[in-house]
Amino acid sequence: MKIINRIGKVLGVGLVFIASSCDSYLDVNENPNNPEDAPISGLMINSTYETAYNQYRVGDITSYYVQYLASPNPGSSGDTMEPVSHGTTWFRLYNVMTDLTIMMDKSEELGASHYTGAAQILMALNLGMAVDIFGGIPFSESFRFETVTPKYDSDVELYSKVMDFLNQGIQNLQGATTVSIGDDDFIFKGDVDKWIAFGNMLKARFMIHQKATSNYNANEVLAALDNAFSSNSDNAQVSFFEQSINPWSNAARNNANLLLDGWISEQFIEALDGTSYPDVDPRLKLMVGATNDGEFVGTPNGAGRGNAPEQGARSTLIQGQYYTSVTSPLLIATYSEQKFIEAEAAFEVDKARAYQAYLDGIIAHMEMLEVPQAEMDAYLASPAVSMGAAAFTMDDIFKEKWVALFLHAESWNDARRFNYQYKDMTVPANLNPELGGKFIRRLSYPDSEISRNGKNVPSVTLLDRIFWDAN
Amino acid sequence: MKNTFLVCAFLLFLFKSYGQDITGVVTDVSGTPLPGVTILVEGTITGTTTDFDGNYAIAASSGNVLRFSFLGMKSQSVTVGTAKVINVTMEEDSEQLGEVIVTAFGISQEKKALGYAAQSIDAEAITSTKQTNLVSALQGQVAGVQITNSGGAPGQSARIVIRGINSLDPQADNQPLFVVDGVPIDNSTVESSGTPRGLTNRAADINPADVESMSILKGAAATALYGVRAANGAVIITTKKGQKGQIRVNLNSSIGFEDLNRLPKLQDQFGQGFSGEYDPTSFWPSWGAPISEIAKTVPGHKYQDNWNRAFDTGMQTDNSLSISGGGDKATFYGSFGNFDQEGIIPFSTWGRTTAKLSGSVTMSEKFNFSASVNYSNSGGNRVPHDRYMERMMYWSETTDVRDYINPDGTMKTYGNTNPVYDARFSTYEDDVNRMIGNLNLNYAPTDWLMLSYRVGTDFFSDSRTEVTPGPKGIDGEQALSSTGYLEETRINSMDITSNFYITLSKKFSDDWDTTLRIGNDIFERKYDRTTLRGEDFVIPGFYNVNNTKQVFASQGSSIRRLVGFYGDLMVSYKNYLYLNITGRNDLSSTLPKDNNSFFYPSFNLGYVFSDHLTTPDWFTFGKLRASWAQVGKDTNPHVLGATFVSPSVYPLDGQVGFSRNDAFGDPALKPELTTSMEFGAQLAFFENRLNLDVTYYKSNAEDQIIPVPVSDVTGFSSYITNAGEIENKGLEFVLGGDVVKGPDFNWKVSANVSINDNKVKSIREGIDEIVVGSQSGYDGSRVTMKLIEGEAYGNLYGTSYARYGGDPNSIFVESELPIIIGEDGFPKRNLNQLIIGNAVPKWIGGLRNELSYKNFDLNVMMDFRAGMKQYNQFDNFLSAFGKNEYTAVRNDYKVFDGVLEDGTPNTKEVWLGQGESPDGKDYGAGFWRNTYRGISENFVYDASYIKLRSVSLAYNFNDKILDRTPFSSLRISVAANNIILYSPWDGFDPESFSAGAGGNAIGFTGLGFPGTQSYFMTLNVGF
Repeated sequence: MKIINRIGKVLGVGLVFIASSCDSYLDVNENPNNPEDAPISGLMINSTYETAYNQYRVGDITSYYVQYLASPNPGSSGDTMEPVSHGTTWFRLYNVMTDLTIMMDKSEELGASHYTGAAQILMALNLGMAVDIFGGIPFSESFRFETVTPKYDSDVELYSKVMDFLNQGIQNLQGATTVSIGDDDFIFKGDVDKWIAFGNMLKARFMIHQKATSNYNANEVLAALDNAFSSNSDNAQVSFFEQSINPWSNAARNNANLLLDGWISEQFIEALDGTSYPDVDPRLKLMVGATNDGEFVGTPNGAGRGNAPEQGARSTLIQGQYYTSVTSPLLIATYSEQKFIEAEAAFEVDKARAYQAYLDGIIAHMEMLEVPQAEMDAYLASPAVSMGAAAFTMDDIFKEKWVALFLHAESWNDARRFNYQYKDMTVPANLNPELGGKFIRRLSYPDSEISRNGKNVPSVTLLDRIFWDAN
Repeated sequence: MKNTFLVCAFLLFLFKSYGQDITGVVTDVSGTPLPGVTILVEGTITGTTTDFDGNYAIAASSGNVLRFSFLGMKSQSVTVGTAKVINVTMEEDSEQLGEVIVTAFGISQEKKALGYAAQSIDAEAITSTKQTNLVSALQGQVAGVQITNSGGAPGQSARIVIRGINSLDPQADNQPLFVVDGVPIDNSTVESSGTPRGLTNRAADINPADVESMSILKGAAATALYGVRAANGAVIITTKKGQKGQIRVNLNSSIGFEDLNRLPKLQDQFGQGFSGEYDPTSFWPSWGAPISEIAKTVPGHKYQDNWNRAFDTGMQTDNSLSISGGGDKATFYGSFGNFDQEGIIPFSTWGRTTAKLSGSVTMSEKFNFSASVNYSNSGGNRVPHDRYMERMMYWSETTDVRDYINPDGTMKTYGNTNPVYDARFSTYEDDVNRMIGNLNLNYAPTDWLMLSYRVGTDFFSDSRTEVTPGPKGIDGEQALSSTGYLEETRINSMDITSNFYITLSKKFSDDWDTTLRIGNDIFERKYDRTTLRGEDFVIPGFYNVNNTKQVFASQGSSIRRLVGFYGDLMVSYKNYLYLNITGRNDLSSTLPKDNNSFFYPSFNLGYVFSDHLTTPDWFTFGKLRASWAQVGKDTNPHVLGATFVSPSVYPLDGQVGFSRNDAFGDPALKPELTTSMEFGAQLAFFENRLNLDVTYYKSNAEDQIIPVPVSDVTGFSSYITNAGEIENKGLEFVLGGDVVKGPDFNWKVSANVSINDNKVKSIREGIDEIVVGSQSGYDGSRVTMKLIEGEAYGNLYGTSYARYGGDPNSIFVESELPIIIGEDGFPKRNLNQLIIGNAVPKWIGGLRNELSYKNFDLNVMMDFRAGMKQYNQFDNFLSAFGKNEYTAVRNDYKVFDGVLEDGTPNTKEVWLGQGESPDGKDYGAGFWRNTYRGISENFVYDASYIKLRSVSLAYNFNDKILDRTPFSSLRISVAANNIILYSPWDGFDPESFSAGAGGNAIGFTGLGFPGTQSYFMTLNVGF
């Protein structure tokens, strides 16, 4: 019986061994490709990079609406303001906001308040940008997978969220932190003062949007601006990389290789080449390419290139210019834009300040483009540009801001607030008939969202306005 | 003490004497010796086969039962007595129901004993199809099995689905498990990450000439023993083995040619330009002036017939050599095969070289082992076929498409990209080295106990190189890409399977026979994929990553392990009642630890009533069967929980960013469960001249593990969870008969038809639909395949004509209602996404005729599918570009049939052309572009077909001639494949589809590689 007992023991031990080794044998499901946790600096890197890219993604959609760009093909859906499903842009906006939510949670746990602050400012920017193009969107039930069908919040509520994020962000950045931001920040390389200035600049941007609403107070805008950027060197931007070239540069490169992209609208060319306004703008030749004959010829929106060949007869983005070099920055917020916000905010309260800010806005943009001093002086000396504070109108601000924010997403917000009243701007040829001859006021919700969260998606038309787009 | 005694008894048992040698001759009724008859000592693994003269010798002791079996003959059992010589005469089995089917773990079972439907096809039925891909060789041959060739590219994948799609997961592999000699192998298709290239399903690495038979196990009952991996059924492949006797050498050599089997109807009247105006540099290939008119002034201007000129005559050669033989103790089989093919799209190639060696050794009556190793090397240049066809769309019909290159090597073009130039220089080559091996050991210490162990491995490396050149730096050139790029992909996959089982057999009395098998099965797959991509070449034409300005790398790996414990009890009563009970418990590494162990049982019953009850003479055989089975299913490795990803753009400036992965795997995921039941009858009449097999089945897959697409706003885009149920039910009929049976002329027919009905029973709360796939169409006519609750799998959604009096809530296009015509006189469009059709065929089937007259054999195999629609993206493009025949109607006036918004008939006459009509109205881009191309309904239509899948005629030289040659057999044959007999489809072969074998988005032709028809000549020589 001893033997049997021993055999029993051996068998028992053996079985336990088999069972436990089976457990460890099967314990191989940890993801070898994707980590379960990511450091806040990794989230900072991607969030700054993708925020800049989002600015580009939205700008690439809206540049056709504000007629910076025009398709070389007739009836192109962007030009003609048709409902297009911008699923990728939607996804990217939410992807960054998800990462920022995680970054806020993690940094708060670590006491890394500067990371929290930066995340809040970037959150405000992405959220505000999404509201500006889509209107009401999900937010309060988002990012944390509480429900698979999050409800939609109204655009008004979300705007107050944006302002809260900016205020909290500035506050967090002004305080102490356990971890300092460094090279993981593609925008400011960890310069906290610039982050604070950026937060204030964005406060001004989102406040000026609401000028037509009862929320608006010009003095609050001006107060924010006092703590915002002080020169072009404060600009919020991400310079691109040899490894990942600037997307506008890529468009120019594609176009050079006959993969047509980045054709310039006739509206834009004629505003700068002396057709719509008396002066030839010295910036034109630094922003877009000329034809083989050395001329600047635009393409009418919606009409296509007509008989023009694919190359050499129309102005397009060309590689190597300020906006289109391989390592050119994608601009998120500039000193120039800030000056035009100041001009608009001060217009009613201090017109002299407004006029000076307007001129400074032009100068700041020209300095960015490195316009030769003589040409800059000549342009600024023109009575059509420096008309004097008395003759100075809101139209002048919008016109010059439109030029200074070339390719930028913010221009469509301005265009809608300005009711598209740019000189000589008309609806594109082959306009989407559903718009009844009017300009587009928002984007439609993407198909992916309608498919996956259909019950919550509000029913809107492209003519329904965002709350701040009051008239 | 009692226990010690038992151990001793056991040991004594092991060393029981071997017994004497029994010898004898096996002949048929006419006295002709039968070579190759299998003789087994029942209850042991001792076995042998008769030699060329029917002689055998086997070690057996008195009281042992020898079982003699031979295909087409009635099996016989003889109990060994005192006689040392046992001669046996075997009778022809008119029933042919002694058919042996290889089932789970390579166990041969009499079909009679099975309680579920199973079908097997033999080497002849495989090779006569002339298919290089084993999957394609099954086409039309097995009821309930749908095979679809994804296109006509050399080596392009073929998809197999048994009894409908069982998963709501758009990414699920709905194909069965492939098992070679008892060892599961990989049959995945890894498509290119960029433009479709038509890659190969890995089962095509096996040379069909090495295959002895294939059995298809359809229901869960048939596959419960393979566990989770066979939830969609199993294809059990048995390869050829050596036979005792003389060494046999077989040489098989064939050459084939192929060409396009069908073209859409195209117009040849109008040429390059737009609005009816000629423009030799226009992007628009066919909206210009009449070609005949321009030809008057422009020399050489003519319709070039590019659509015929763009495709070559493909060619293939296939050579196989096999040597086999064996003695009393050992057998071997060795083979070499080489296959090479050039496809109909220029520069498309694929080839395969295989070598196989297998052998078996019988050490003693208690112990034997066998092993085999199969090496293959395959691959080719995969042309960007989808882009090729797209560029054919854009290409001017008055410019010769084959005149594509300038002397300096740049593209010759008037503006658009030349498809032939792209096919030549945008290369994608794969090179797969694969080794499949197995080792089997059987040890039978007593006549009621056998221990078996089988270990198998399937290893392959797939090395891929993609090159798209950048600009050469020559003035005025039009490059294929602004930068050019090079991508190197390395895939390594390693499967190891280990299976140990114990078989206990006991015959309780003459009436009761039982076999119990219990075992353990372990599976592991390790998979690695590394991609290195370089963009923007510094030196044009030098293709090395070191020569690129931007380099990206990515890596992905996975490991999956499964451990299964199983039991299988078979009980038979009086050889007419058979009961089989199985149970299996799987443990999977891919599921959460708390839910990773799951058990599932199966029961099946076969009742051969013709052996029990008295039936009339003409009633030869009758059997009823019933089964109920469950099978569990795990998920993919590494999907649980939330993770972070580093996007491929990093590192940038030495920084690596991270972002939330958009997929989230439910941490409480549980295994999915498929429950299926099956009832069937197998009947034979008139001495088996006519036989019929009918099966009804129903299967419900519940708790489906699906990556549910969720709103991006949740923080994820897909949520992997248990979320839904899908049901398949259907009927299968197999009808066979010997129409003529005579000394010279024989005609055998077998036909199969099956119908499948599928329904999505439920999807998780809050999820309205699951998008399986979609394909673009011009002007909003994109077609999407979506799953919604209560409807069938495979519904295609798109835009349609606005209809008068329709139900505003209808989810289907109400095509019987009149079309609404707008005030402008043109049909109006309904932009709501409605169901236009379903892409899963309701009916599939095949018909095989085998005729022989003296030395001639004729094999005719036809198959069909019906009751399905498909989106013809070609047609959409052709209509947008004014290339198909109907768009030639563009200078006519027409009053569209339909009613106005108020229901009154339309009377307005409109012009169909572009620009200004002869009566002075501006029609813009014209009817075809403004209206027709934007309505998906126009392009989703019946894709049924009847095909002559293969026809072959062979001549066997008879012995009189052979005696004067060194050959023992000689056969020559001619064959043809894939000839479309009937299809309402207007376009290329309706069988081709874009998703490839691995994808579920069937129903989209894309701009895929067109189907081909082929012709072969084959020589088969035996020495």
